[in-house]
Amino acid sequence: MNVRVPIHRLAIYDDVVPESGAGQSPPDGAPLVTFGKYAGPATLILSSLADGAKHGYALTKDIEQFASVRLAPGTLYEALSRLESQGFIEALPSTDRRRPYQLTAAGAEALRTHLADQRRVADVGLRRLSRSWGPA
Amino acid sequence: MTGPSLATGAEHQAARLLRWYPASWRARYGEEFAELLLADLAEQPRNWRRSADVAAHGLLARIAVTGLTARAQPPAVQTATLGCALAAFGTLGVAMLAQLATGWQWVSPGSPSVAGATVLMTLAAGCIAITGLAAVVPVLGLILLAARRRNGRVVRPAGLAMACGVALVAGARQFQNSWPGTGGTGADHSLVPGGVAAFGWSSTLSVSSFWVHPALLVRFPVTELAWMAGSPVIGIALIIAAAAAVRRLALAGGVVRYLSRLACAACLAAGAFLAGATIWVVGQGSGDAGLFRPGLVDGAELLVMALALAVAVRLTASLSREPAT
Repeated sequence: MNVRVPIHRLAIYDDVVPESGAGQSPPDGAPLVTFGKYAGPATLILSSLADGAKHGYALTKDIEQFASVRLAPGTLYEALSRLESQGFIEALPSTDRRRPYQLTAAGAEALRTHLADQRRVADVGLRRLSRSWGPA
Repeated sequence: MTGPSLATGAEHQAARLLRWYPASWRARYGEEFAELLLADLAEQPRNWRRSADVAAHGLLARIAVTGLTARAQPPAVQTATLGCALAAFGTLGVAMLAQLATGWQWVSPGSPSVAGATVLMTLAAGCIAITGLAAVVPVLGLILLAARRRNGRVVRPAGLAMACGVALVAGARQFQNSWPGTGGTGADHSLVPGGVAAFGWSSTLSVSSFWVHPALLVRFPVTELAWMAGSPVIGIALIIAAAAAVRRLALAGGVVRYLSRLACAACLAAGAFLAGATIWVVGQGSGDAGLFRPGLVDGAELLVMALALAVAVRLTASLSREPAT
């Protein structure tokens, strides 16, 4: 069954998102948009874990570096526990009191889909800006 | 691990922040979260936003373990919280209905709206009581099974709940005929038998506007004041202990389905009760004086009951979606 991408609620997609193909939900777990206000932190965490396992503080520093966003501890762990319960990440055995997390295959697919959706939003916005307001 | 005597200020602060979270969360994430907090505290020793963030998410995690958030919780946890919500609704409902039923023993309501509302509330209360009894049967069976297996984690809170129940019934029976206006009127023409109305009244004596009228309150006998103050403590202990026992039960899919159907029926009946209560409270007794005139406490009860019903409906819907495994 073909499923529209979760962000189909935005009218902006009606003319750019195909009914089938690229915009399919990940096979495992819920799409990231169902994370509500934690969709942002979840995207940042998955993006950070895309190049290897990290523990809490390493995640905080990495995200701060590449996104200029510092996730507060409570927010970080709420998103981590949601991602873990959805099977998007998994905890590795801790060597000390810190526990590293790594991306799962389902998490990689969910991140890929979500980032592709975001890219389409960015492309539409930039194209329309360019048309109406001129190139940057 | 650093001992308590060597613990630094940062470790104390991290431990303090960690206490916002429930024990089950701390058991899973506590150690690694404390490490993150220590690293964060070393970098930013003073940051009120961090404290607020941890406090908010800790409280959310505490609410989540009751099954009240979108986070998936085991059916037993949802059932226990659902039971608490319906128990809160029932307690306030009994307090409200006992007032009307006791009044009706003395004189029939003067207005059709109050009479109709009382009939609706009485029928709905009966339905809720029947569904409650039907729900207790399998739960009691599971508790007895746990007792045979010497499962102390279930038996201990169940025993406490039973002791609280016995104390509540004994106390309510002791006081049910000593309150002005209840029992012994001989004019048993109410919808509810006089003894039942009086028992409902005395078991919920603490739900009263007398608390804000201390000058009137001090005229009551000391034993009744003690009952007004002590009975809610016993009632709350009963609900918490029963919920703790239910949370620790292994509920099979069939039992969950059965309980969710009963909960659905109870929610429908509770909705009808709330409708009747709203007619009565909003109509201000529709001209009835004294016995049928609602007070501010009844309006407050109505709001809390609506909130409890909303929680119950949400949990019933969630329980109904549980897979049949």
